[in-house]
Amino acid sequence: MSLEVIEPGFLTTVQDAGRPDWTHVGVPTGGACDRWSLTVANLLAGNPPGAAALEMTLVGGAFRATTSLRIGLAGADLGGHVRETGRLLGPGQAHLVAAGSTIAFPGVADANVGARAYLAMPGGIDVPVVLGSRSTALAAGFGGLGGRAARSGDVIVATGAADRASGPHNSTQAQDRSDPWPESVWPADDADHDTGAPIRIIGGPWKGRGDLVGSTWRVAAGSDRVGLRLEGPTFRFDDRADLPSFGVIPGSIQVPPDGAPIVLIADAQTTGGYPVMAVAIAADMRRLGQLRPGAEVRFAETTVAAASDALRRQQADLDRGARLVRESAAWDDAWQGAGG
Amino acid sequence: MTRRPASEPPGWRIEPFGERALLVTLGDRLDLVVNAQARRLAAAVEAHRAVDPRLGRAVAAAVSVLVPFDALSLGSPEAAQLVAELAMTVQAEARSGGADTASGRAGTDGAVTNGARLPIEIEVHYGGRDGPDLPAVADAHGVSPDDIIELHAGSTWTALFLGFAPGFAYLGPLPPDLATARRANPRERVPAGSVAIGGDQTAVYPFELPGGWQLIGRTEATMWDIARARPNLLAPGDLVRFVPIR
Repeated sequence: MSLEVIEPGFLTTVQDAGRPDWTHVGVPTGGACDRWSLTVANLLAGNPPGAAALEMTLVGGAFRATTSLRIGLAGADLGGHVRETGRLLGPGQAHLVAAGSTIAFPGVADANVGARAYLAMPGGIDVPVVLGSRSTALAAGFGGLGGRAARSGDVIVATGAADRASGPHNSTQAQDRSDPWPESVWPADDADHDTGAPIRIIGGPWKGRGDLVGSTWRVAAGSDRVGLRLEGPTFRFDDRADLPSFGVIPGSIQVPPDGAPIVLIADAQTTGGYPVMAVAIAADMRRLGQLRPGAEVRFAETTVAAASDALRRQQADLDRGARLVRESAAWDDAWQGAGG
Repeated sequence: MTRRPASEPPGWRIEPFGERALLVTLGDRLDLVVNAQARRLAAAVEAHRAVDPRLGRAVAAAVSVLVPFDALSLGSPEAAQLVAELAMTVQAEARSGGADTASGRAGTDGAVTNGARLPIEIEVHYGGRDGPDLPAVADAHGVSPDDIIELHAGSTWTALFLGFAPGFAYLGPLPPDLATARRANPRERVPAGSVAIGGDQTAVYPFELPGGWQLIGRTEATMWDIARARPNLLAPGDLVRFVPIR
């Protein structure tokens, strides 16, 4: 099964859980900027959590379904709909898409809406595994669709058989319509869904040299998959000359010479020479990955222990959601098996 | 196996880097011996991952090692204890002179050699359109461009660590008569293969990238090729010699 790219959108790339094992030779971990939403989209499509999916940015693409298929959507609501019928395709749900119909994600002009939407296809997207991952490494130009963003005319192929989308209403002659059986819906009551809450940080090697807490920052234009540039108060580090480079991870908040902090995200370089004031906690990386230019962001100090607890709670929420989705899928199978 | 009490390896600092990584700082300034120890510690972490996959891939840099770990299965204090034990083992091996690992042996004079390994030779066309900053680098030191070429191609450099981009190896350390400050205005595009100086390090841009280093030449060598079994031509600890060509 496949989707043909009609319009590529602003930046649509194939991403999975990243390639953490090549950082020692300078390869960014990469992968989905919002790993939580990647997982949700995959679970809704019946995939393993880290399967390769499409990450759309601000203005998503338009895709024609060459066969009927079930898609999992998660992350930002970029106005997804079926072009021919206007049927809305909301995030946090699985949707059946009829062969020949066009699904479009035009984007919305609202700084409070997230930046990235994830579209998962059954079995995951079929691109070669490069250095242990299907993720697109944009700067180095490998992985995903030949190391680049999607273009018009690309065909996004999924490895899965069309088994979960093979209901009687789903033949090639079928009209687009809502799923007659209960669609899989992600339970939204996860612990960290408060998008307005401060990003929790742990002091880094240069902690105590200025306060990230207490100011409101704005995500600047020019932010990308490497980092979020922040507009607001600036910091000075006069003794940073000749600072030997050290390893950094996504979440590191570094201060380059112009004094404006940068929060590194998925495509962060593996080493950096700028002072790191703090590191955002793992549980809040999903929210950093959803901040678009113009969005406001605040920080709150937390502890290593509290950060680990938050991460465990988040994983427990994912596990619980995965269970519910599986039960719902099992119910679908029973319903179909009964000849519905 | 007896468990050592929690303590820090003397002279090295282990501190949390978020809840999911530790930064081990071995020294304050670039030094070949300390850099070789950082590479040995990273190698020790990598070897230990075979029995404890809760540790992530360690990234050795100039004089530090970043050790990520799976924060769902390993607490930060426990990770620090683990890394401290590995670090003290590396220190003990260095004291007993048994540090002849693939990452290099630190001699008493501070030189690092890689056992029987020969330097990797990289042919460079210096100056001209390939090295537009060569005159500026020469001016900065009050010497001729040929003097800079002689210095750059006249020594064997160590791949201290990789970073910035896939396959980008920081080579050095350069002596003061070659070390040159970065450009005030970074270029948006530095061509692939550009040989450059940035501070007391030199490097080859593995593919087209933005960059602020001084470009003194260019090579046809393929520094990064995703089709190779090891995409990076240079690995941490490798020795490199630049060979001028016309």
